[in-house]
Amino acid sequence: MNTQFQPSAAGLRTSRNRRGYLLYLLPGITGLAVVVVLPFVTNVVLSFTKWAGIGTPTFVGLENFTRLLQDSNFWVSFVNSIAMIVAMAIIPTALSLLLAALLYDFIGNKFGPRIASFFRAGFYLPQILPITVVGILWGWILLPSGGVLNTVLDGAGLGALKSNWLGQPSTALAAVMAVLVWFQVGYCLVIFMAGLSRTDPSLTEAASLDGASWLQRFRHVIVPQLKPEIYVVLLTTTITALKVFGPIFVLTKGGPGNATTVPSYFAWQNFFSKNQIGYGAAISTVMTVLIIVLALVFLKVQSKGQED
Amino acid sequence: MKVPIFRRSTAAAVMAVAAALALSGCGGSGAADASKTLTVWWFEAPDSAMGVSSAQALKDFQAAHPGVTVKFEQKSFDQIQQSGSMILNSSSAPDVLEYAKGSATAGLAAKSGLLTDLTDVAAKDGWDKKIPASVAAVGHYDDHGVLGTGPLYGVPAYGEFVGVFYNKDMFAKYGVKVPTTLADFESAMDAFVAHGVTPLTMSGAEYGANHLWYELALSQADRKWVDNFQLYKGPVDFHDKAWTSAAQTMVDWGKKGYFSKDSTGIKATDMLNAFTSGTSPMMVSGSWFDGQLKTGVKSFQWGRFQFPGNKLTAGSGGNIWVVPKNSKNKDLAYDFINRTLDTSNQNLMGNSGGLPVAADPAAVTDPQSSAAVATFKSIADRDGLAYYPDWPAPGYYDQQVKALQNLLTGAIPVKDFNDAIAKPYQDYLSQLK
Amino acid sequence: MAVTDISSMKTKTAEATPHAARGRSKRGVAAWIVLAALTVTLLLTLVPFYLAILNAFKSAADYATNGPVGLPQGLSFKGITTFWENVDFGNKLINSLVISAAVSVGAVVLSLLNAYAIGIGRIRGHRVLLALFMIGLTLPQEALVYPLYYLSKEVGLYDTKTSIIIVLTVLQSAFGTYFVASVLSAFPRDVLEAAKIDGAGRLNILIHVVLPILRPTLMVLGTFFFIWTWNEFFLPLVMLVSDSNQTVTQAMGTLQGAMTSDPTTTAGAALLGMLPTLVFFLIFQRTLTQGITAGAIK
Repeated sequence: MNTQFQPSAAGLRTSRNRRGYLLYLLPGITGLAVVVVLPFVTNVVLSFTKWAGIGTPTFVGLENFTRLLQDSNFWVSFVNSIAMIVAMAIIPTALSLLLAALLYDFIGNKFGPRIASFFRAGFYLPQILPITVVGILWGWILLPSGGVLNTVLDGAGLGALKSNWLGQPSTALAAVMAVLVWFQVGYCLVIFMAGLSRTDPSLTEAASLDGASWLQRFRHVIVPQLKPEIYVVLLTTTITALKVFGPIFVLTKGGPGNATTVPSYFAWQNFFSKNQIGYGAAISTVMTVLIIVLALVFLKVQSKGQED
Repeated sequence: MKVPIFRRSTAAAVMAVAAALALSGCGGSGAADASKTLTVWWFEAPDSAMGVSSAQALKDFQAAHPGVTVKFEQKSFDQIQQSGSMILNSSSAPDVLEYAKGSATAGLAAKSGLLTDLTDVAAKDGWDKKIPASVAAVGHYDDHGVLGTGPLYGVPAYGEFVGVFYNKDMFAKYGVKVPTTLADFESAMDAFVAHGVTPLTMSGAEYGANHLWYELALSQADRKWVDNFQLYKGPVDFHDKAWTSAAQTMVDWGKKGYFSKDSTGIKATDMLNAFTSGTSPMMVSGSWFDGQLKTGVKSFQWGRFQFPGNKLTAGSGGNIWVVPKNSKNKDLAYDFINRTLDTSNQNLMGNSGGLPVAADPAAVTDPQSSAAVATFKSIADRDGLAYYPDWPAPGYYDQQVKALQNLLTGAIPVKDFNDAIAKPYQDYLSQLK
Repeated sequence: MAVTDISSMKTKTAEATPHAARGRSKRGVAAWIVLAALTVTLLLTLVPFYLAILNAFKSAADYATNGPVGLPQGLSFKGITTFWENVDFGNKLINSLVISAAVSVGAVVLSLLNAYAIGIGRIRGHRVLLALFMIGLTLPQEALVYPLYYLSKEVGLYDTKTSIIIVLTVLQSAFGTYFVASVLSAFPRDVLEAAKIDGAGRLNILIHVVLPILRPTLMVLGTFFFIWTWNEFFLPLVMLVSDSNQTVTQAMGTLQGAMTSDPTTTAGAALLGMLPTLVFFLIFQRTLTQGITAGAIK
């Protein structure tokens, strides 16, 4: 495998050769400069000002940042970010890795690829729902009185497990996490299954002929082959988790109390409900920098991991 | 072909406008109006009382100005709430639109010079006489963009107030009488609890708890207290009798089972649903639900009483008509606003289940609506509108919801709760100075 | 359900793959147990959809009396038809289609070009470049709103479909660039070498060597982009003001008042709003299966 993944021939790496590729980058870089870099710089500048969104911003120096350092709401929300990473990145990745392998390698083998695609489509469906609708539908399920979940628990004689799911601090975070797992699995699954279709089926077949059990094949053949996809999924879902806003907004608005508050919600409040653009910009600047640092570390690990 | 775009369910009305337009096309038009366009936006649902009466006002306008091209667009509350000032600050702004009331929305726009000062027009056209002062407060914004005083920038055509909706059938079944004092109210709820019925449906995940809590505070308050809190006219002590007893009563009522301990997970629609389905005998909420109650409640009789014993109640003028600074046809815009305040259109709003500000109560035929109009008029006339608890500071609503959730789940005691309510208020106040 | 119908229409070629032929004979009890477990999981996953369908056809009074969980007392299309008329849904549907399709195609092309230069070209500082693209991924959307608003006003693109297409194309391609570059880093170099020796140019290699192998990946990306753009709520809310430019998700926002909301109409609107994405995804499913057989690296 090593020889296959190693950029081998020197001919590909001469600098003259490489320069020719710059042309391909031109549209992308231009777009990036206008739509991302410029607004990002603007945002950094705004974070040193006091501004309501119209009129001229007033320069206030580091005031927003010193305020942020002392704002306990902000730091509390970061603790919840860890839960978001678990619910949006770690659990869905693990779960859908297993699902993808099961569907592609096991169900696909035994019942044909049509059945496998059917399941993939089914598990992906939550992703196509607009987030406002997700909020309403899960609201109906988690409603304390008359909600689907509590009604079912009652009917199954498990009335003792009934709960005010989104309304009390002890269950709200877990309930939100469950919804996020439900929402995220489809995304990871589709990427993993596409990855499996890209990989070499002869490897799995060979392993299977060698008498390896399914679990062994999973660990030693399927997972290593999916390495690029696993990195992509882990990084993108972690970033999504760190800036998650929509699901929190529609499910709990950060409540009860601060039990489910996340940094993006905190930024949104300052941007759009308090008109404190400068402070909001400071929050999102800090968030962006933190996420970028995290991403860079991750990229380093990834490129190392892929060269092994 | 330029045809006005109308979105509403009453196809007949659309036809009528189309016909009027067709006529105007043949019949020529007033010279002054020729080739003018009036663009109007609002976000009230087409079927709602406000939607229906605004559409009628627009129809009247069209009839009076056959040469003017009328362009209407249905907007969403979200859009105006979140990007209103951006729209007003661009060339895409309409000539007249419904705008979200409040310091953080209309106040910001007024302060930033994006809205037209309507004070003189209001005096000339007599809007100030039609609309009670306490209702019109939502249209006044001062130099800081603070609601309540200063020039008039917006005109509310409807009002809203919080009361107690009750299920008459359930009251009869359990032999409970409509309470007139807070003590009566408690014994009425005790009667329901004794029969195993939870008396109040209440949403603690959204505004339901805020309103109940504020009504309880108002039961111990006077106008001066309200003005100090809402208009910053004097110091506010968040540990005074009104605030403390309100928080304590919330806790006590929860413990007594007056509302479910699940309330903290219930949203406003779910609260409404518990009432319309006939499982809850009472709901403390606002007149914005009148329309949905009218269409939704089929299996029992319902009514409304004012929060027992309260002279002051949560309520205010509704969202406001504003004229952007960039409006190209301000005179036409004023004329449209005028027509929304016409007695006939105000009566139409009342008969459609809305709460008009300048209707003739006698002309509102539906008994429930008529009672609502009369009640609102009496509250406004006695200066009893105390606005809403989240108005004094931007972002306050969210903080109050969360503090109330913490109070009701027992996460914090009353004293800490009052501190949590005090902090954002004082923070904002220190910024204003 | 529609899903079954369409997926059973899947191409015959899929049947003929070695996979399918190989395993049919040895389905054991274990296989059926796994299948049953997956089916139950899937059904649980789809409970919210069941609720959406249940409530979309309820009358407002029915909902008021029996709540969200009760079975509908009769079929009412009022919620859906009211919504359709009120927001001029046809127009919104076209806007959403135009915007989503343009962004989806544009962002896939842009991602491919970027990733080709970064992943295959390995141009100087490709890691820094990748990190730069990462900013597009990491920047919270609310931070983009004010700068993009002033920028689009400056160039006269505020309240145009063009502006939202450009913005979303670039933002989505930030994700796509990283995604494709990562996949390309595992691209078999000997295949490239062979093409090089045959004297193929960069563009030729991209189109005839890289593109076919990446097809399934790009399909997935395209689908993601389409659906993400379709469901995008926040930026369109701010950037698209006029009725003639607004999208399906914005139209759904009109159901939410300042103090009230309308759950049955929302459920109906949700069904209407997600049908196009559902159809799109199911069509893509078929193409993907074909892509699998065509794209396997041998």
